[in-house]
Amino acid sequence: MSAAAAVEASSTPRKRFSGLRGVRWRVDLGILPSSPSASIDDLRRVTADTRRRYASLRRRLLIDRHPPKDGDASPDLTVDNPLSQNPDSNWGRFFRNAELRKMVDQDLTRLYPEHHGYFQTPLCQAMLRRILLLWCLQHPEYGYRQGMHELLAPIVYVLHVDLDHLLQVQKPYEDCFNDEFDGITLPENNLFSNYKVKRASDWDSGIETENTHHIMSDSRSLDEIDPDTRDILLLSDCYGAEGELGVILSKKFMEHDAYCMFDNLMDGAQGVVAMASFFSPVVGSSTNLPPVIEASSALYHLLSIVDPFLHAHLVELEVEPQYFALRWLRVLFGREFCLEDLLVIWDEMLSSSNCRLRGDDAEYNFRVLCSPRGAFVAGLAVSMLHYLRSSLLATETTTTCLQRLLNFPQNPDTKKLIEKAKSLQEVALVSNMLPSSSQRDSNKGQFRVSSGYSLPSGSASPVPPLNVLPDGYWEEKWRVLHKDEELGEQSNSDQGSAKKKLAEKLGLYRTKSEPLKVKGALNRSSIRQILFDDVSSDIGTVENHVTTECCEAPINSNNLNVGDFPVVLADQRTSNWIVDETLLSGDNSVVFSKSVCPHGIGNEHEIDSVKSSVTSNSFLSDNDEEAFNMEEPRSQNASNELALDAEATSSRVADAVPEQRATPNHWKSFAGTFQWFWKFGRGSNEASRESQSSSDARHANKDSFDTTTCDGTDNSSGVNKRIEVGDKKMMHALRNLGQSMLENIQVIETVFQQEKGKFDTLDNLSNNILGVKGQSTAIAALKELRKVSNLLQEM
Amino acid sequence: MVLVLAIGDLHIPHRASDLPAKLKQMLVPGKIQHILCAGNLCIEMLIFLFPLNLCPDRHFARGEYDENARYPESKTLTIGQFKLGLCHGHQIIPWDDLDSLAMFQRQLDVDILVTGHTHQFKAYKHGGGVVIIPGSATGAHISITYDANPSFVLLDIEMGLRVVVCVYELIDGQVKVNKIDFKKTATTLPAH
Repeated sequence: MSAAAAVEASSTPRKRFSGLRGVRWRVDLGILPSSPSASIDDLRRVTADTRRRYASLRRRLLIDRHPPKDGDASPDLTVDNPLSQNPDSNWGRFFRNAELRKMVDQDLTRLYPEHHGYFQTPLCQAMLRRILLLWCLQHPEYGYRQGMHELLAPIVYVLHVDLDHLLQVQKPYEDCFNDEFDGITLPENNLFSNYKVKRASDWDSGIETENTHHIMSDSRSLDEIDPDTRDILLLSDCYGAEGELGVILSKKFMEHDAYCMFDNLMDGAQGVVAMASFFSPVVGSSTNLPPVIEASSALYHLLSIVDPFLHAHLVELEVEPQYFALRWLRVLFGREFCLEDLLVIWDEMLSSSNCRLRGDDAEYNFRVLCSPRGAFVAGLAVSMLHYLRSSLLATETTTTCLQRLLNFPQNPDTKKLIEKAKSLQEVALVSNMLPSSSQRDSNKGQFRVSSGYSLPSGSASPVPPLNVLPDGYWEEKWRVLHKDEELGEQSNSDQGSAKKKLAEKLGLYRTKSEPLKVKGALNRSSIRQILFDDVSSDIGTVENHVTTECCEAPINSNNLNVGDFPVVLADQRTSNWIVDETLLSGDNSVVFSKSVCPHGIGNEHEIDSVKSSVTSNSFLSDNDEEAFNMEEPRSQNASNELALDAEATSSRVADAVPEQRATPNHWKSFAGTFQWFWKFGRGSNEASRESQSSSDARHANKDSFDTTTCDGTDNSSGVNKRIEVGDKKMMHALRNLGQSMLENIQVIETVFQQEKGKFDTLDNLSNNILGVKGQSTAIAALKELRKVSNLLQEM
Repeated sequence: MVLVLAIGDLHIPHRASDLPAKLKQMLVPGKIQHILCAGNLCIEMLIFLFPLNLCPDRHFARGEYDENARYPESKTLTIGQFKLGLCHGHQIIPWDDLDSLAMFQRQLDVDILVTGHTHQFKAYKHGGGVVIIPGSATGAHISITYDANPSFVLLDIEMGLRVVVCVYELIDGQVKVNKIDFKKTATTLPAH
């Protein structure tokens, strides 16, 4: 300590209280007024204030779990019982604090084991624990992070050392300052007072005190003592300003002082370097990096200016600065130096001021370098790197390089390091202020180097809400549960639905989100889906072929191929059911139902890539139009299917087109059948556009129906033979087809019966068009359908 | 600041299948340090299941329907400044009689006696100490009465001479919590 004082004395004018680190640091940190004219009394008053603040904080934050019963507000027991998972309850806070305490304890037990004589004593540990806990409770946004205890330890240590020093200084002057007035004045009682003051362990020092005591007895007045000692004595005088609370070097209030110093160090005291920011992952405002990453890159930046060769070497080895700098910066080199050296370093660091050198709007490259203190930190880090230069340059891989960096040699020449750091400090400050383009480029290089680390931080969440402590697992669950329950109660749902919501929230999701309104449709449609799945997988190529034929067909406006119409029919099927139920308009329903041939509806689950079908754009627009045409609100199911249809088919557009031409014409025999199917589909599609299509088209449709039914029957007979030779699967599928066709036909017929009455009343144009003639043709077509279905079934 | 769970008379699986969900969800790990189980679990497997596995320090007393015949009839332990006694209560006749329970408590020489068997929550202080009956955690049937609300008790034994008894009862589908404070006098005369 005296060496440091000597160094200081030589370089700068001697600072006040340089012999007392604790006081010196308090001045540097801004707790005590730093102006040389501040009197002892001022210092004492400020100290007393800070101590009062801490005491009130401590009282407030120590939780009383069971407030006395005679209190005004009896706590709501459903909230405030020990098992309550409500995060707002006192008990919840208590348990969270217990968690925090456990974390702090984990670190404290491993604090400076080599100095276990001091740091591992229960008293010291309790004090450290309290300080850390209270700080973390005061700053919930940071919480407790490993390393904070290492920042606190040197602070407490210097306070302790100061007290020892004080005792040493006070010893010869005890007579002046002790309160026992019984045996002081008489010189014969020197022996007795010596025994009183003698330390039990060291009788040598007892002899010394005897000597000094003699010296003292000569000069009793305070003015004759040298100023330093006088200051010390005045600082610790119980009868000075603010009494005992103002005694600056006080054992009783060591905790208060340590808390203040720690708080100032962490907060930065409106300066630039706030240690707390180094612990937090929250990104800085100007850059998108957490402050500690930015500081590490500042380090590298300085290194690149000072020692580009080493810098290049490190960059080449992909040694990112934060690998080692994180530890260096977060505990301010506490882990790299032994305690004594560390104190010297901190002396120097804290003596540099923490204020921004230039105004707020001045541009800077790195925030940490804006203040001399930050610059010193960076300079020291670079000087440490320079110290290891030769061994670092010798390393070949990242691992060995990091090993060297993370195991800093035990006894470096701290004086030299500090001197170099001071010189680098200047460089750092200068470099920070010049936003030259070259430096910006190098900065970009830096940022690129560290960008790998900026990525996770970039996605870091913003400052968490100021909860006292982060919610535990049960508290979060509780919150979620209760939010749901509140919603459930508000909507007057019964227990079941609340439970359902709970179950949902807890991840037990039901497979279907909503009940399907059109259950009947589903059952049948599901059959058809299965049908067509079977069928479609085998006849994919046929469809392609069919499309080629379709292209030549006269009515090209709705150029659907086989692939299209199942989907279209799907829409129409669903729409059909809706229409059936609501009876939108007579002929619409009729025509729709007619078209609801069971040609394998609902291929929304066609995921088979083999099955390629061209989905013309018109189809997609068909979908929309149908959606618009259908004035009924669709059931969830229908719209789902529509969407799925659109997706399924549109995904196949690309596949289908190239394949269309290429597929060979194996299944020509089926072409006829499917042509028939297709024409039905086409007809149905046309029918859907009742507003657009003309009556002529209708007639043409009907004609085509008649003709194609004949074709269909012929084809089907031809098909019969082929099928016997061909797939059994096909047979099965076709059989099912027939069955569903029958069902459909039945439905249609019932609809017809219902519609008959309505035709007279409705005034639609389309109604008139269809009229009696339409009915008869429709019925005829139905009969044909029946025949076909019987045939299919027989297969 | 020790939390002790006093629970008993589960009668699983004979009279009940499980604790009510709302009571179960109050019991989360990490808060409770001791479990005192008054008895009548009944099957042994329960000690490996929630909630009896909330903490490593568990004490069981034998109830008349317990399958494990080797549980002791009564047990005493010390937590903090308090001596606790555990017994099922079917042995103390007449059942649910204050005087008999007090006599038993004096016999065990404990400050807090935890018993069960009546399936009804009770906590009272008499001359010799405190008697706590946590009731049945499952609300199992008992011939004494027809409505047995499921309940259990949490004892908060503090560093000083105070114990706070929190009872958690399920009444009409809602968990109701009640708290009773007991203070022990600093000097209790040892029983001679």
